[in-house]
Amino acid sequence: MSDSKREGLPAELLRELDELVTHYPEKRAALIPALHRCQEELGGWLSPDVLEAVAAYFALEPVEVFGVASFYPMFHLRPVGKHVVGVCHNIACELRGAEEILATACRVTGAKPGRVSADGRFTVTRVECQGACTAAPMLVLDGAFHENLTPDSAAKLLGGVR
Amino acid sequence: MSAPLKREVYLLSRVGLVDSHTLPVYRANGGYQALEKVLTGGYTPAQVIQIVKDSGLRGRGGAGFSAGLKWSFMPDPAKDPRPRYLAVNADESEPGTCKDRVLMERDPHGLIEGILIACFAMRVKTAYVYVRGEYRLSHDRVRDAIAEARQAGLVGQKILGTDFCCDIWMHKGAGAYICGEETGLMESLEGKRGHPRPKPPFPAGFGLWGQPTTVNNVETLANVPFVIARGADWFKSLGTPKSPGNVLIGISGHVERPGVYELPLGISARTVLEECAGGVWKGRQLKAWIPGGSSTGLLPASKIDVALDHDSIREAGSMLGTVAMIMLDETACTVRAMQVIARFYDHESCGQCSQCREGTEWLHQIFARIERGLGRMQDIELLSALAGGMAPAKTICALADAAAIPTHAIVRHFRAELEEHVRLGRCPLGASSHAPELEEAHA
Amino acid sequence: MTKIVLNGREVEADPKKPLIAACHEHASHVPMYCYHPGLSPVGSCRICQVEVKQGEMPPRVVVACRTPVAEGMIVDTEAPKAHEARRQCLEFLLKNHPLDCPICDKAGECDLQDYAFAEGQGEGRSVEPRRKLEKRKSLGDVIVLDQERCILCSRCVRFFEEVTEKPQLTVAGLGARSTIETFGDRPLAGNYQGNVADICPVGALTLKPFRFQARVWNLSKAPSTCGECSRGCSITIEVLRKQDVKRLRPRPNPAVNRFWMCDHGRFSFPRFNRPGRLGGALRRGARGLEPVAREAALDELAERLRLDPAALVVASPWLTQEEGALLKALAPAPLLVTPPPSPLKDALLHTGDPCPNRRGLTELGFTALEAGEVVARLASAATALLVGERVAELLGAEALGGLSGALRLALLDTHVLDVPALELALGVPDSSERTGTWLNVDGHAGNLAHARPAPAGVAPLTRTLQELARRASGALAR
Repeated sequence: MSDSKREGLPAELLRELDELVTHYPEKRAALIPALHRCQEELGGWLSPDVLEAVAAYFALEPVEVFGVASFYPMFHLRPVGKHVVGVCHNIACELRGAEEILATACRVTGAKPGRVSADGRFTVTRVECQGACTAAPMLVLDGAFHENLTPDSAAKLLGGVR
Repeated sequence: MSAPLKREVYLLSRVGLVDSHTLPVYRANGGYQALEKVLTGGYTPAQVIQIVKDSGLRGRGGAGFSAGLKWSFMPDPAKDPRPRYLAVNADESEPGTCKDRVLMERDPHGLIEGILIACFAMRVKTAYVYVRGEYRLSHDRVRDAIAEARQAGLVGQKILGTDFCCDIWMHKGAGAYICGEETGLMESLEGKRGHPRPKPPFPAGFGLWGQPTTVNNVETLANVPFVIARGADWFKSLGTPKSPGNVLIGISGHVERPGVYELPLGISARTVLEECAGGVWKGRQLKAWIPGGSSTGLLPASKIDVALDHDSIREAGSMLGTVAMIMLDETACTVRAMQVIARFYDHESCGQCSQCREGTEWLHQIFARIERGLGRMQDIELLSALAGGMAPAKTICALADAAAIPTHAIVRHFRAELEEHVRLGRCPLGASSHAPELEEAHA
Repeated sequence: MTKIVLNGREVEADPKKPLIAACHEHASHVPMYCYHPGLSPVGSCRICQVEVKQGEMPPRVVVACRTPVAEGMIVDTEAPKAHEARRQCLEFLLKNHPLDCPICDKAGECDLQDYAFAEGQGEGRSVEPRRKLEKRKSLGDVIVLDQERCILCSRCVRFFEEVTEKPQLTVAGLGARSTIETFGDRPLAGNYQGNVADICPVGALTLKPFRFQARVWNLSKAPSTCGECSRGCSITIEVLRKQDVKRLRPRPNPAVNRFWMCDHGRFSFPRFNRPGRLGGALRRGARGLEPVAREAALDELAERLRLDPAALVVASPWLTQEEGALLKALAPAPLLVTPPPSPLKDALLHTGDPCPNRRGLTELGFTALEAGEVVARLASAATALLVGERVAELLGAEALGGLSGALRLALLDTHVLDVPALELALGVPDSSERTGTWLNVDGHAGNLAHARPAPAGVAPLTRTLQELARRASGALAR
C-alpha cells in the first residue's frame, strides 16, 4: 500500500524527486527533470493539477512552473493520445522526404498535425531537428527514434502500434 | 598545393567495438590512462590548462573558441573560493548535427574522462551533463557509464585514491534549441525558461547560480584525454595550424552515404562528399550545400573545394559551425530549404529581444510567401534589410545572427531562384509541398 | 561617483546603476520599455540604444540598461547609429502591434506611440497578418489584458516577482507566440495590481475603473499625496475638465513609496466625486438647515466658542499641518478622531493606519482618540466643533444622530450630516482642492495640491480658521 500523496504526487515519484534534488545546490534546478518524470508517469501530459503539485513541491507559485513548462516543446500542456508521434520536418529530413512521412503518419493514425486522433490513440506532431540527420527521414514514437524511414516503413511501424 | 593532411582516427577509434560503451572495453583500449597520468603524474591544474592551450584545441560546439583559453578564465580559487561548475553542453540541436550523439552512445567513458580532466584543470568538483531531452539513449549510456565509473572509484570522492573529488550528474533538457546557447543552458539547468543572459558578465565570473562556470561541448571534452595522453604536439600534427586536430563531420541530405565521419580539420568539403559520402545521390549534381549546420547558410556548388577549417571557410564567406554538411541536388529548391530553416528559427527564438522575436517570424513569413508563389520583388530587398536589422551582435544572443546569416546567404548566392519564384508565382521546380491540411494546429 | 561625458557634458554617474539611469538623471532622453528604475534590468527590448566610446576602442552601439558606467566613457544618446538601431527596433515592435490607438486607453501616454513618433519610420513594411490573441482578458477586478498589444517587455512579470514578492504573471510559450498569462483562469490578487497598468509601456494592461473614462490629454494633473493611510504615497491627481477626479497615479518618491501605490489608495478617487458637497454655510432655522451668509455663520460660530471656553473641538486626521496649527491656536486641547486600524496593513506600503496626518497632528498637540471615545465626550459637552473633511463620517451618522439636541454642534466638513444636534455647517475643500502638508508615519512631509477648484462658496479651511481667530481672538481661554 503506497503512502498517502504528499503534495498531490504519488509516493514513488516523490521519492525520486527527493533524490533528484540532492544533485543540485538549489532545489529548483531539478524542476525540468522533475517535469519529465511527472509527464512520463502521469498520463503523458502536464495537467494544471500536476503543475500545481509540482509547484507545491518546489515551493514555487503555479504560474512560475507553468511559465517554465510552456517554454519547452517536449512538455505537453494539453492531453495527448496514448502514443505520441513526432515527425521531424527540419532541413535534412525535408530533403529526404519528411513531408511524405508526415502525410503517411497522419493517414495511418487518423491524427492531424498538432492534434489527437479521434479514437484518442495517437497524437501526431511536427518536431524540429532531433539529431538523426544522417539517418533521415525519421520519426519519434513514444520517445524512441525510428530512422531511415520510407513512407512504407513508416506506415508499417505506425500501423503495427497496439 | 599544401601537403596532404595526416589521417589518423582517434575520436571514433573505439565506437566500432562490441560493447564500446562499457568500462571494461574502454579500459582495454587505453581508457582512463590520461586521467591517471594527470592525477598521479605530478601535474598541476595550471599545467593541464597549459597543455590544452598549447594544443590549440578549439571548441567543437560551433563557436570554435580556444578551449584552453576558456578554461583559463576560471578565477583563481584562492581569490574566489565559491563553488564552481563545469556544464557539459550535450544539447546538440543545430540542424544537421548528430555527432555528439555518436560519442555519448558509443564512447561515453571518453566523454567522462574528458570531463574529469577538465574538472581537475579548473578545480571543479561538480559537473552537469546537460543532454537534450530527446537523446534517450545518449542520456542512459552516459548515466550508466558514470555509475560504472563511480563503482570503479573514477567518479566521486578520492578519485584513483588521490585528493581529487568530482561528481558528474546527468540533466535532461526538454526540446528547446536555445538551451544549447551557453547562458540559455545555464538558465535551463537552474530550472527556468531558457532565456540567454546578456554578456558580460561571462560564465567564468557569473555562471550557474551566479558562480564560476565553464560550458564545454561534448566533442571538445572528448578530445581532451587524447591531448593529454599523446601531447599537444601530436594534436597539432593533425589538422591545420590554426585549426588543429580531427573533427567529427556530419554529412546529410542528397548523398549516397550520409553519416558522421572523423577527419582532420582543413579537409576539403569535396573530399568529405566524394570520399566519405559517396557523392551526390542518384547520379545527380550538387546545386547548393550548407557547410556547418543551418546557421551557416547555403553556399553554391562552386565552393565545394573549400577547406573545412575555421579560417578558410570564413574567407569563403561562411562559417565552420558544427561542420554539419547538408547537401542539395539539382532537384532541390533553395527557397524551400530557406523556408524550412527560417521556420526553425521562428520556432526556437526565446522571444526576449524585439528584433529576434519579431524578425524570425517575419523572415519565415516572407520565405513562406515567396516559396508558395505569393512573394513580391521587394520582398528580396526586405529580407536583406530585416536580416541587417537583426544582426550582427544586436541582440542578447546569436540566434538572431543564426537566422540572419543564412538569409543574407541565399540573397547573395541564389537570388535568381528567389526572383523566379516571384516572377512565376510558384516554385519553378514544382518543389513546393505546401499542404494546408498538414499545417500544425496551434490549439 | 564616476565621471562620464554625456552628450558633450561631463557629468557624474552612479556606478551602482546602469548607464541609462545616468542618462535619465541628467535629462538625456533614452527610450526604454523593459527597463524600469524600480525593477531589475533585463536588456531584452533593445530600444535603449546609445553610442559609447571607451578608450581606444571604436564607438559602438549598446543597450544602455545593461552597460555599466566607466570612468571617461563618452556617451552619445543622439548618435545617428543609435537612432537607426531604435528605428529598426520600433519597426519590429510595430509589425504585430494592433492599430488600436483610437480605442486604446493608453493613447496619449503610450511609450510605443511616443517613441514611434519621435524615432520611428512612419510606415512599416510588413504585409503579414498580425497575431490574433486575447484582447479583453479580465484578470480580476482591476486589470484587463490585451495580449495583442503586449510587447513582451516583462515589466509586469518582474513587478509581481520582485516588488510584491509573489509571482502572479508569467511569459508563456516562446518566441513570437509568447503571451502574458496568469495560471489557468486565476485572477490577479493582492493590493498592488494597479501598478502593472502604470508600468506597462503600452495599452496591454489597463485599469478597469479607468477603461474608456477619459482621454489622457483632457486630464489636468497635479502632484499630491494619498490620504488613505499614513504612508502618504506621493501621487498625481488627474482631473477631467476641472471637475471629476478620474485617476490617481503614484509619483516616484525614493523615501516614501519608490514608484508604487496600493490599489486601496489608487481607487479611492470616487470619494472625491461624491455629490452633495456642502457649499457655503448652513444654519438650523425653523424649517431645518438653511443657507446663510458665510460671514453671519462665522460670526455666530465665533460667538458660540466665546460663550463656551470648554467647547469640544474635534479634528479630522485629514487636516493639514497648516490647518492644524491654526486650529490649535483657537482651541487649547483639540481632539483628533481616528478610525480603527485597517486590515490592509502589509510589508510593502500600507501602514494599517488610515490617518494621513496622525503624526503631524499629534506632534502639534492633538490628542488622538477613537470615535467611540470622542462620541462619549460629545455626549457630555455643551458646545462642539467638528473640523475637517470626513470628520462626520468618522464619528458616524448614527452616533452623531444620537446626540441630544441640547448639544450645540458646528461642523466644518465636505458633506453635511443633518442630525438634531447640528446647528451650523460650513463647507471645506477636500484634499484635491487645497494645498497643505501632511506628515507621514516616518515624518516625511507630503504636500497636497490644488488639483481642481473647490465647489462654489467653499473657502480654504485655513482662511475660515483665520477668520474665526480674528473674531474670537482672546475669547477662548488658554
